[in-house]
Parts: sequence; structure tokens; C-alpha cells
Amino acid sequence: MWFLHFIQSSIGKKWIMALSGCFLILFLCSHAAGNATLFVGVSLFQAYADQLHSHPLIVAVFSSGLLLIFALHIVTGILLTLQNKKARNRGYKVQKRAKIRANSQASATMIYSGLFMLLFVVLHTAAVSFGDHASIGKTIAEMFSSFAISIFYIIAFMVLALHLSHGFWSMLQTFGVNHPEYNGLIHALTFIVPVFFLLLFSSLPLLFLFH
Amino acid sequence: MSDKQKNIDLNLEIWRQKDSRAQGDFSTYTLQNISTDMSFLEMLDVLNEKLTMEGGEPVAFDHDCREGICGMCGAVVDGIAHGPEPETTLCQLHMRHFKSGDTIVIEPFRSRAFPVQKDLIVDRGALDRVIQAGGYVSINTGGTPDANATAIPSATAELAMDAAACIGCGACVASCPNGSAMLFTGAKISQLSLLPQGKAERKERALSMVTAMDKEGFGNCTNERECEAVCPKGISIGNIARMNREFVKASFF
Ligand code: FES
Repeated sequence: MWFLHFIQSSIGKKWIMALSGCFLILFLCSHAAGNATLFVGVSLFQAYADQLHSHPLIVAVFSSGLLLIFALHIVTGILLTLQNKKARNRGYKVQKRAKIRANSQASATMIYSGLFMLLFVVLHTAAVSFGDHASIGKTIAEMFSSFAISIFYIIAFMVLALHLSHGFWSMLQTFGVNHPEYNGLIHALTFIVPVFFLLLFSSLPLLFLFH
Repeated sequence: MSDKQKNIDLNLEIWRQKDSRAQGDFSTYTLQNISTDMSFLEMLDVLNEKLTMEGGEPVAFDHDCREGICGMCGAVVDGIAHGPEPETTLCQLHMRHFKSGDTIVIEPFRSRAFPVQKDLIVDRGALDRVIQAGGYVSINTGGTPDANATAIPSATAELAMDAAACIGCGACVASCPNGSAMLFTGAKISQLSLLPQGKAERKERALSMVTAMDKEGFGNCTNERECEAVCPKGISIGNIARMNREFVKASFF
């Protein structure tokens, strides 16, 4: 009962967004670590994929957990957007932000960048995750040798960085992490985290494109 | 009269709405020779005097102290709640911040939880109901205690005072793209939960004030930080973070 009350409250929904977002960031970290094998070579990446898929139980548990977290993040995000549109029933004639920040655009467009990420994930998993795992290395190498596909991936990583530039800070604020002593560090991470993932992920298509 | 005093001419676009059920629309007015030493509300007084003389209906707006401490005044001026000056209520905004020939757009605070009553007046009773849900201490305090009987660290007292500076004007709700009242509720919860007198009821307070806030139809905070930027008392979103912690603690422990 108290738990239902919690997740139905405005703060509870913030927590769902933040907690699922936190898990998604952790997933990004593990994904990036797996990708890093590609820097060494396609064969090492293939070996990593083979190793991973030799444990079907682990793969099944992790992918269904990931699916659940993804769904939670998306459904709550859409619900929040709809509720908030209703709460601000009428806009102003003069629409202006009182304070323009480097990432003001990001916070105002979370739902759009989020939905674009959903589109990307659907396409990416359809092409890679549900493809033939035995030749996943080859699939990747072939995909990224196409200029158009590489550019699409890089655009998606930029949108991800935009999403994170509000999401990461917002997550900490929701968890109640806001303290004058650490706010400087948190502010720096607001930019470091998205740029880190942007560089790490987009270096792969670039690597194949210019190889 | 200051040396820099001068007079300016203004065009005003003001939201006019007969009552809470009327449609409402913008009307345009011009004012000549407005002293830059006037406050924004005094400028509206001049307009209303003119309208009354002409047999028209004066523009209805809320105000009381006119010295920035009561929280009664407030409107959205050129897209920003309480106008362009930071940490300033509308009554403390002076006309020297405008130029002759400017067109100023004046709109009421907008939010589903703040229905417009007439022109620039909105019903902010929703904030009162949030306070009624727990924005108080109900412990017996007895006779006047000695000033130093309850030791409170200076830093804590300062934080509580910063939160207590909230005058409940509702600019946070008006500026929030989600119409959320979390800065207000966060400040009120913080102000009490930081102090020993408020600690006894912190759990019930966090639960019931957040529930009351949600019930009024305010939106959900998505950390846009617009509230903090317009707040005439400079209330920090650190108070929202504290409310989040208080609410989670109260829900789970
Ligand atoms: S009239 Fe009291 S704060 Fe402006």
C-alpha cells in the first residue's frame, strides 16, 4: 500500500525515472566496455560475443531485465509528459526562459530525444542483437563501412549525449544529491558524462569508416 | 527625486478576463510620462486611474505590502514571472528597467491549479491547502523558552531561514513548464524539518504535504530549474532535493 502510494506520487515517479535511468547508464557502461574489444580487432569482439552467448541463462536474465527497465523508463516518461502538459494548461503569449543554460534545450526536449533513442534502439537491436550472433563481428564491420549507417549512428550518439546532459544531473537531483560542497563536481560531470559516452561510442563507426 | 529620474512612454498588452468563466483576451493600452522612479504596480495604478476616469474597468491585480514581503503581488511580465529583475517581486520592480517606447506584455500566473479569477488575479488557494496539510508544528511549546535552550548550529539555522524566506507568491508554479509546486513545498518542508521543533513530525509532514500537492493538480517536477531562476527570494532547488530525501525516508523507513 505505502509502496503503491510512493510510486504514484510525483516524487515517486521522479524516482522511477532516475532509478531506471541509473540502470540504463550502467548498461551503457557495460556496453561500452564490450565495444572496446573492437578497438583491438573484430576477431576479439567476435570472441567476446561468442563467450557471452555461451551462457544463455545470463543473456536471458540480463536482456529481460534490461527490457523491463527500458519499458519502465519510457512508460513513466510518457506519462509524466502527458500529466505535465495538463498541469500547465495554457502557455504564455511571451514564451521565455528566465535563465538560459548550456543544457536548457536538453531539459525541454527530453521526450523527443528519448523517443528518438527508442527508434534507434529498435533499429539497432533488429539489425545486430537479433541477427546471427555467430557472425556479429562481420555484421558490425559491414554496417559501419556504409557512410549513411555510420552517420545515423553518430547522430543517435549525439542525441544520447543531449539526453544525458539533462538526465545525469537530473538523476542526482532526484536522489537528493545536491550539496554546495559537491555541486561543482556534479556540474562538471553534467558535461563530462555525455561527452565521454559520445566519444566512446562514435569512435567505433569512425574507426571503421576511416580504416 | 533622483538625478537620473526621467519619464517614459509605454505600450501595454494586458490580459483582461471578466471572471473565472469568461474567455479573456489581451487589450492594448498606452501610457505617457511614466516616471522611472515608479514601481511596476504604481505604473498599473496610473493606468487604472486613467481607465476609471474614462469610465472603463480598471485592471484587477493582487497586491498588499508593496515592499516585497507578503507574496500577494505577481504577474508574468514579458514572459518572466515578476518581470526581468532577479530576486525581485513585481511590487519591487521599478520602471527604470524599461525603455521609452517598450511594449510590455502582462499576463496572469498560469497553471491548472491556479484558476484565473479576474484579469491578473489568480486563485492560489491550492498553496494554502498544501500548508494546511502539514506546514506547521503541532507540538506543545509551553511558555516562552530561553533563547538558547535549544541549541541549533548556525549553518542549520541559516539553511532553515533561507527556506523560510519563501513568501508563497506562486512564481515557481507560474514559471515551471510543468506547473509544478515543488519549490514551494520543498521550501516549506525544509524550513521545518531542519529545526528541532519540526523534526518530531517530519515524517507525517513530508507524506501529507506531498500528497496534498499532488492532489491539487500541480505538475511533476522534471528539474528544469526555472522556479529557482524566478524566485523573488532566491530559494534554491536544494530544497527540492531535501524534500525528495524527506519523502523517500518517510515512505520507506
Ligand atoms: S505586494 Fe507584497 S510582496 Fe508584492
